[in-house]
Amino acid sequence: MCAARSEQEPAKRADADLDTLLTHVAKGDQAAFEALYDQLAASVYGLIRKVLRNPSQAEEVTQEVLLEVWRTASRFDPARGGAATWMLTIAHRRAIDRVRAEEAAAAREQRTAQAPTAVDEVAETVEASMDAERLRRCLAGLTELQRESITLAYYGGYSYAQVAALLDTALGTIKTRIRDGLTRLRACLGVS
Amino acid sequence: MRLRRRDLHALAGAYALDALDDAERDRFERHLRRCQACENEVRGFAATAAALGRAAAAQPPPGLKERVLAATTVTRQLPPVTATPRWRRVVAGRRGAAAGTTRTFGMIPKIATGVAAVSLAAAVALAVITISTNNSLNAERAHSQAIAAVLAAPDAQIVSGPTSAGGTATVVASHRAGQIVFTSAGLQVLPSTQVYELWFLAPGSARAAGLVPTAVAGSTAPVLASGLAIGDSVGVTVEPAGGTATPTTTPIVVLAVPA
Repeated sequence: MCAARSEQEPAKRADADLDTLLTHVAKGDQAAFEALYDQLAASVYGLIRKVLRNPSQAEEVTQEVLLEVWRTASRFDPARGGAATWMLTIAHRRAIDRVRAEEAAAAREQRTAQAPTAVDEVAETVEASMDAERLRRCLAGLTELQRESITLAYYGGYSYAQVAALLDTALGTIKTRIRDGLTRLRACLGVS
Repeated sequence: MRLRRRDLHALAGAYALDALDDAERDRFERHLRRCQACENEVRGFAATAAALGRAAAAQPPPGLKERVLAATTVTRQLPPVTATPRWRRVVAGRRGAAAGTTRTFGMIPKIATGVAAVSLAAAVALAVITISTNNSLNAERAHSQAIAAVLAAPDAQIVSGPTSAGGTATVVASHRAGQIVFTSAGLQVLPSTQVYELWFLAPGSARAAGLVPTAVAGSTAPVLASGLAIGDSVGVTVEPAGGTATPTTTPIVVLAVPA
């Protein structure tokens, strides 16, 4: 194997390893699942807790998500995105499902009583790694409206209509700011 | 109001952040089926969102790993989807919504929200595992593997019902294995001189099927019982500590196992 030519290469190799692990999991390999847990459980749990805020709810949803990963591993298609993306997509979707279910049950007070996640707070939880530093820099490169729209929707668990209301901005504007912001973020992070 | 095509494209970002309501999400996913450019864009956005997700990493609570790993031992995995060739998808798309729309176009399998996200058997497994991790993990794994055969049996059936002692009793039964797995939640706590006992009930007979362990956090650890016969029901009675050979009280619940 040749030496890494850029700082991105080790990360790519790690991603490929995760894909391989998930492929093994699909065949019922519990050791592979354990290895996958070691690599990604913190991300899955951390993201869900950030959205839900309630640690015991977060633990419950994390369990469901990880078991869903185990159950549906055969549906993972590396051609459509990496293993980490797949798992975090499921994690975020389930966290949002829980948020929406609670909203429907009008049990929202606790969450809304808390201030929306500020970007600084996001930055604080970021591990002191190269990737985290790059993400911080990339977030800082967005316009304030782009950054706020994205973090409120993703970490705050708000729909774009709710984001529009929170920021007192037209729906169409939020819609395009989210898209433009993600496009810029994607380019800045070098996501293919 | 119907969104124009151009407006639909603009939803790709909000879609990737799960920021659409259900109706919009459905509409956008229908659009995705016909829009390769959108699919590519969503894929890139999903990877971007995942980078935000990983930045929020936090130490999971202790014990979570053991519970999840134990749950996998008793949870059957879904078979792979046999892919429909792309041209057939296109044809199906042109034909309209009725035919060929079972393929999911989002990033993840489409599953109903909430509890239904986990299959019933898996939900039982998770509940079961969550409350039984006081035991050592190895013992738990061995035990889990023993009940895995029942939970994963192709003919496994789940029957569940309320009991007169409160709470719910659940039986997963496999006639092929001749076994059941019993769990319960919310049963009235008994004094130490009494115990809940399980029975296989048939007309004119009751065969002892084991004792239900003391509940932890309201739920009881799974009991594996062998000797299920066609036509049996599963019953639970309150008996003196240590159990009895024949029931001495009226069952708090009787669950009929379909043949």
